[in-house]
This record gives sequence, structure tokens and C-alpha cells, in this order.
Amino acid sequence: MFLHDLLFRLRSVMRHPAAENELEDELRFHLERQADKYVKAGMSEAEALRRARLEFGGLDQVKNECREARGVSFVESLAQDLHYSARTLLHSPAFTACAVLTLALGIGANTAIFSVVNTVLLNPLPYPNPQELLAARQNESLANLKDVQSQTYSFASSGGVNISPMDFTGNGEPLRVHAAWVDGGLLATLGVQPMLGRWISADEDVKGGPQNVVLSYPFWRDFLAADPHVLGRAIRLSDKTYTVIGVMPRNFALPRELADVFVSLWAGYPEAAPERGVHFMHTYWRLKPGATLAQAQSEIAEADHRLAEAFPDTERERGTMLMPLQEWLVGNVRPALLILFGAVGLVLLIACANFAMLLMARAVARQRELTIRASLGARNSRLIRQRLTESTLLALLGGVAGLIVAKAGTTLLLALKPEELRLLDVIPMDARVFLFVFAISLLTGLLFGLLPAWSASRGDIAEALRENARTTATGVSRSPLRSFLVTAELALALILLAGAGLLIKGFLRLRSVDPGFNPANVITMYLQLPGTRYPKIPMQTNFRRELLARINAFPGVEAAMISDLPLAGNFVGHRLVVEGQPTPAMGSEPLVQVLSVMGDYYGVMQIPIRAGRDFSEMDRAGQPRVAMVNEMFVRQLLPGHNPIGSRINWARADDPNDWMTIIGVTADVKHSGLNQPVDPAIYTPFSQNDEAWRKFMTLVIRTRVPAAALVEDVKKQVWSMDGQIPLSSIQSMDDLLAVSVAQERFNVLLLGSFAVLAVALAGVGIYGMVAYRVNQRTHEIGVYIALGAQHRDVLRLVMKDGVKLGLVGIVLGLAGALALTRLMVSLLFEVKPTDPATLIAVALLLEAVAILACYIPARQALRIDPMTALRRE
Amino acid sequence: MPSRSIDLPQGTLDLLILRTLSLEPLHGWAVSERIQQISSDVLRVQQGSLYPALHRLERRGLIKARWGTSENNRKAKFYELTKAGRRELEIEQDAWQKLTAAVSQILETA
Repeated sequence: MFLHDLLFRLRSVMRHPAAENELEDELRFHLERQADKYVKAGMSEAEALRRARLEFGGLDQVKNECREARGVSFVESLAQDLHYSARTLLHSPAFTACAVLTLALGIGANTAIFSVVNTVLLNPLPYPNPQELLAARQNESLANLKDVQSQTYSFASSGGVNISPMDFTGNGEPLRVHAAWVDGGLLATLGVQPMLGRWISADEDVKGGPQNVVLSYPFWRDFLAADPHVLGRAIRLSDKTYTVIGVMPRNFALPRELADVFVSLWAGYPEAAPERGVHFMHTYWRLKPGATLAQAQSEIAEADHRLAEAFPDTERERGTMLMPLQEWLVGNVRPALLILFGAVGLVLLIACANFAMLLMARAVARQRELTIRASLGARNSRLIRQRLTESTLLALLGGVAGLIVAKAGTTLLLALKPEELRLLDVIPMDARVFLFVFAISLLTGLLFGLLPAWSASRGDIAEALRENARTTATGVSRSPLRSFLVTAELALALILLAGAGLLIKGFLRLRSVDPGFNPANVITMYLQLPGTRYPKIPMQTNFRRELLARINAFPGVEAAMISDLPLAGNFVGHRLVVEGQPTPAMGSEPLVQVLSVMGDYYGVMQIPIRAGRDFSEMDRAGQPRVAMVNEMFVRQLLPGHNPIGSRINWARADDPNDWMTIIGVTADVKHSGLNQPVDPAIYTPFSQNDEAWRKFMTLVIRTRVPAAALVEDVKKQVWSMDGQIPLSSIQSMDDLLAVSVAQERFNVLLLGSFAVLAVALAGVGIYGMVAYRVNQRTHEIGVYIALGAQHRDVLRLVMKDGVKLGLVGIVLGLAGALALTRLMVSLLFEVKPTDPATLIAVALLLEAVAILACYIPARQALRIDPMTALRRE
Repeated sequence: MPSRSIDLPQGTLDLLILRTLSLEPLHGWAVSERIQQISSDVLRVQQGSLYPALHRLERRGLIKARWGTSENNRKAKFYELTKAGRRELEIEQDAWQKLTAAVSQILETA
């Protein structure tokens, strides 16, 4: 029945001109036939036609009723309504601008966040059949990867990758690039093909295989001028020559890693490739069609067990955890994004409440016009539809303006994005985003347009009219819907404010964590010695010593170096044994961070030395080996002992009797992040380095000289010693500290700005309500003043309602906050989600805003001149 | 006998149209003539109100329209009952009879 109706209406619309003609013909036939009848009865033709017309009634009215009966008029009246709405909106630009702006803020903020959610959480991974892709939570060695792959059945393929810096030379300044040292199975696992040439084949991906390289698209474009004949060209990477065999497609990216060039691990780092204990590859796995994660996980657990038994010294603590790739990539950001999305939804609700109140105020202002239209015969449903058309039109305009806000918002988001979203370099506005905007605009227009229209039919407007006519007793008129909206707005704003307050408090706590060093005025830069020219430790030590001497010769500069900088994300972990303590089982010796330093590292970083002494010039190769440890090391591994003089060694060291003596204890440093626990760490002098692969170092330079000039001077010194060593990761320690809390700052900034927006909107809402009522009650207030009311009496009269509603909203909001802030516990650092101080502070803040929002219109009430008010009667 | 025609009660026009069309397809003018003739001119159908009713019934799928040739050899729009219309007529007829029976019973006895 409904379908028939719809088709009929549709046909009526499609065949509109034809249907009009048919109607014309049908009615003309009737009139002529009736006239014929009268002519036959003896009437003159003219008289017959006149009589037929008279009996028929108004022709145009009949036509109209027929059209309405056929349903054509729905579309026609919609067009009419739209035309009418557009005209009236143009006539009241202030109202239109307010409404559109309010919605644009709400919808725009939502759209911006939705675009991010869409891009990060909803879009499928850019690989074929992404649901088959898994990632392992733990890093893996190449040997283990191969063994697990051969001992399991669920996987179609697997691949691994380690990102390491390589020096690209022969193209102007030496450059550090990100090299992906891969297992050849990686690309098949991801299901991608090179754009030019080919990928590393299985028979090349072996010990002694050829030195081949596949380039990323940006590398090929930026450094090889997008040379179409690049295949077969030779490039220099870390002092070796590689032959280009392929170029990846433009849109290709590894799941989580940035890579400029791809080389086989056997070609890039042949020393590490066969080492089972070097767990440094991210591994990706593709399930066979039909295989399940649970099946794969149980197979891999068995393989782990076998490996642990076969190689206990390195593989004892295996426990590979597989997870869907998508989950692995976005699992960390999902909670924050969803909370932000929820928060921004609350902002939209507040904006919608203001929108509804604007519509209500307008409906009252236009009551006379509506009454006239009603008395002219417009049906109630038609009037409601007219108002819905108007509110929907406004909402759609708000949506369009919101798109502009969203565009600006996403640009801002990209500028602020935290490390977890670093692969996100564009936030596209795709069809889904447009659909989202359209849907929420339409919903807003209909729902929040209907609310005031419905309330009007329930008498709110009638009441307002009576108020207008000043026939009601003093102050009894209340609009329940308006009060409800104001209360709800304040409650929602309080929830947002509480969330933001908690995040800010957590963030301040985080920022006030002592990192263990003084980051001010410290510049850092990374460099790595090429293994081809500095294969032996003494050569490396000489380079380091000479470089530090040259930099320290600059006036006003103190320089030192460390293998892995705090907060930079890396450290080398080693197992060790303590002299005099029972030797633990193989593979379960304590694991500590091992950091090598040279120069006055603790002085430059201003890390306090708690006991013993610093390294000296005498602690060099050939002298007894020494080490410094942090306080956490002493607490965990030497409790109750005097650490100074205690001796330690690597677990399963080549020479078990070559002990390192602990000569000093340093304060703890937050190496892995301000919100991470401190691990036990030992520092050894670079000059007693026993690992030739430790060729990398980060310079730390405390300086009062402007950094830019200094960086150039340091580069000159490095290149005068070796022209092919790139300097990279040049950043101040302050910046590094800031980057380490970027995710938290991102959350704080976003939720904070949503809260500000929410409070502003709620303030405008409560202001609007009080201002409206002052306007409505000018006369009454005038009388009140004429009767001798004092300022405070008038203020109390005007502000009473607003302040009361504000309090109710805040109390409700507190209850809501208590219920909802639990959801954000994972985002909070050392703050309980129910932190009373924060909740009280935000409640007071919001109440202050509410009082202010009431006070501004109340002051206007004070200026009412009783005589003018009365004369306006 | 003084002839005084009466206006149709609300909602009965649809019933009369359906009943009239149940015998044969007719065009609008013929429907109005037929109703007047059969009711011996007692019922007066405002001719203009007939057409919105016909169009409404068409939209509800109770009658369907096609163009044909009239008795005086002119192009005219003929309406006929659909299956749904026939069912609707039975239901409405039944309801009407019950209603009038009940009303007249009250009028006679009360």
C-alpha cells in the first residue's frame, strides 16, 4: 500500500506536465458534457456552459484539491516551503548567521574528528585481503621467523623488517636514510608488487646474495629525479654499492615503519642475519584463506615451545602473540580517538540545544505571521512542515559551513598529530565523511526543528504570547522546554569540562615528572660510523675522542656523547651476572639497559652522581673495566650492598673473569618516557667498548651559543674528519621532551578545546534565555523599579532562574561526569577519574560562567527606565 | 411532493463512487449523473468535489483510470474498480449497513 502510494506520487511528479494536461482534459470533458445536457433540454449554449460552470464550483480550487489528492502537491509545496524559507532567512541575517555559526562549530568539530576516525579506524588497510594479515607483538630474529614459518601450517606467508639508518652518499651532502632490512617474504605477505622492476627474489635473499636495493617512490622521485631508466643503476649506501632492481608504487607504505630503501637483511646486515638471538625484526603474517587466528596462535605456541627447548640461552622466554594487523596498528590510539569522538558528540548536542532555542525564540517573534497564515487556512501540519523545512535548510547550511570548519580542523590536527599517527599524512574527506555531515545535518535539522515545533503545539508559544500581551501574573511563565535545554547544556558542558580538567591535571603531573636530567640548552645530534671504514673499535674510539675534543674547543660549549639518548626510543638490553650472587638459569639472568658514554656526559646532562666517582680519562682500553649504574639498578640487583666496588659481567661473557667494577651510582633517568617506569641501567665508557657494532652515537651539547650556528660548525668538524658521515635527528632536548608527551598533549588540546567550545556554547545558551526573558518582561521590571526595587532586587529577579537552572545542570553534570570519566582512565596519568579537586574546580568554573552569562542581560534590566517601559504599553 | 435534496454525509462519497463503479467502468460525469439518477435526485453531489475523491481513490489503488471514448464519441477518462477496490467496497458496504441499521433502530425505538 505504502509502495503503491509512493510510486503513484513519484509518477505524478515525473509526469507532471502530462498529468496537468490530463486533469485539464478530464475536467473540461465534464463541463462540456454537462453543458450538452442543458443544451438538449433547450438552453442556449452560452447559458448552458454558464450553468455547468456554476454547478461545478471553483475550477482552480478543484484542480488544487485534485493535485493534493494525487500527492503532487507534496513536492510542489516542498519547493514552495524552500523558497519561502530561503526568503525569510535572508530577511533575518542575524538569526541565520547565529544559527548557521552555532551548527557549523558543532558539526565542523564532529566532522574533523570523524575524518580522523574514518581514516584511522574505519578505512581498511591498503593491502589486499587485509583481514588475513597478522602482526606479532614481539620482535623476532630472521632464523626464528624462518623456523616458525616452516613448522606451522596456517600461514600463507610471512615476512620481517628492521628499520635502520643507512648513509646515502654520492649525492651532495651525505644523508641518513631509513633502510628497511627485510626478509624477502615481506612483500608477498603484504600482497604488493613494485611499480618498476621487481622485488628481492627468494634465491637472492640468502647468505652471500647480491647487493640489490628496491627504492621507495619518494626516494626515487627526490634523489634520483624519478629516472625511468633507474633499474640497474648503482647507488652508495653506508659505503657499499647496491644495484637498483625495483621501485615501489607511490602509495605504498609499510604497516608501521617509514622506509626509503629496501634491502635484504643478508645484504644490509649480514653479521646479524644468522644470529638467532638478535630479535629485531617486526614480523607480519598472512593467514591461508580459511585459517583462523586461534589456530595460528596455537601452532605458533607449539613452535615457540620447540625453539625454547632447542635454544634455551636465547629463546627461553618465547611467547609470541599474534594479533590482527589493524588491531596492532590502531589499538593504542583507538581509546583516545573514541573518547574524543564521544566528547565532540556532546559538543554537537550543546550546539543543537542552542539551535533549538534560537528556533523557539524566532517562532515566538513570528507568531503573528503564523497566526495570520493559520487563519488564512494553512493547516497545522503544513505550518509545522514549513518550520521543519526552515530548520533543515539551516542545518544543511550549517553542515556546509561545518565542512569548512572541519577542513581547517583536520589541518590543525595533522600539525598536532602524535607519534602513533605519524603515518597519517593526509586526512581525506571521502564519501563517507560527506555522508556523515549530510546525515548529522539532516538529523539535527529535523530533530531539533521538531522539538520547538512540537513544544509550540503544546502551548509553550501560546504562553509566550500571553507573556507578550503582558496579561499573566508576574513571573509565572516558564518554558519547560527552554529550561530543559539550558539544564542539559550545562550538564553536558560540565561532563566535558570534567574530562578536560582531569586530562590537564594528568598532563601537568606528567610534565612535572623529573626526567632525571636538565633539558634546557642542550642540543643533540645522531651520527653513525660506517662499518667499512671503521671496522675496529680503536678506530671508532679515536674518531669519537677527536670529534669531542674539537667540539669542546668551541667557546661556551660543553659536549659529550651517549649511545642511546633518553626519550629517543632506543636502548640496548643485555643480561648480566653479579659477582657473588648465585648464577641464574641460562636465559633468565637480569636484563638491564646498557648505555655507553664518552666525555662529561653527566655534567652536560646535569644528571646527579649519587655515590662514587665519574669516569675519568684513565678508564680506557687496556685498563680494568669499569661501569656506573643507576639507583634502580642498586635497588633491584644490589639491595643492601655497597654498590661501589661490586663487580658485574655480561651473562655468558667470552671471558667470565674479566669483571667490570662499579665505580659510581647516578640518579635515575626516565629513559623510556616520563610515564614509564625506570629500568635498571648501566653506563660503560665508549673507550672500553667491546662491541664493534656499537658504531652509533648521539652528541649532547650544552651551549649558550645560538643552536643554528653551532649545528653548522659541528657539521663542518665532522665532515672535515670524514666527508661521508651524515648528521641527523638534530633536535634540542626540550623538543625531545615535548615530543615524548605529544600524544598526551594532543588529547589535552583536543578535549580542552572541545570543553572551551562547550562552555562557550552553554554560556551563550543561558545568556540567550535570560536576555530573552528580560526582553519579554521589560514592562514588569519597569513596574518593579517604579515601585522602588533596588538594583539587587532586580538582579535577583532576573538572575534567579538562570542561576538555579545552572546549579541543577551542574549537579546533573557531576553525576554524568562520575559515570563517564571512568572511560578515560587509560588516558590519565596519576589522576583518578573521580578526582574530587578537579570536579569541584570545574563545577565552580562552570557556575561562574553561568552567573556571568546571567549577569550580562541582568545589567541591561537595571538600565530599564520605568517611564519608557510603561509608556511602551 | 416538494423535492429537497440533501448534502452527503462526510465520507460516504467514496462509498457511492465505488458502488457506482462496481457495475461498469464510467467517466466522472457519468458517475455524478448515475448517483443523482439512482437516488432520484435526493442526494446532491457537488460536482467539483467528485474529482478530488476520484483522484484520491486512484492514489489509494482502489480504482484505476484509462482514457477511452465516450458515448458521444469524445476522449474521456474512465475509472474502474480494482480488486482492492472491490474488497474495500464489500467492507465499507457492510459497515454502512450495520451503521444505518443501528441508527434507524435507535430512531424507531428510543
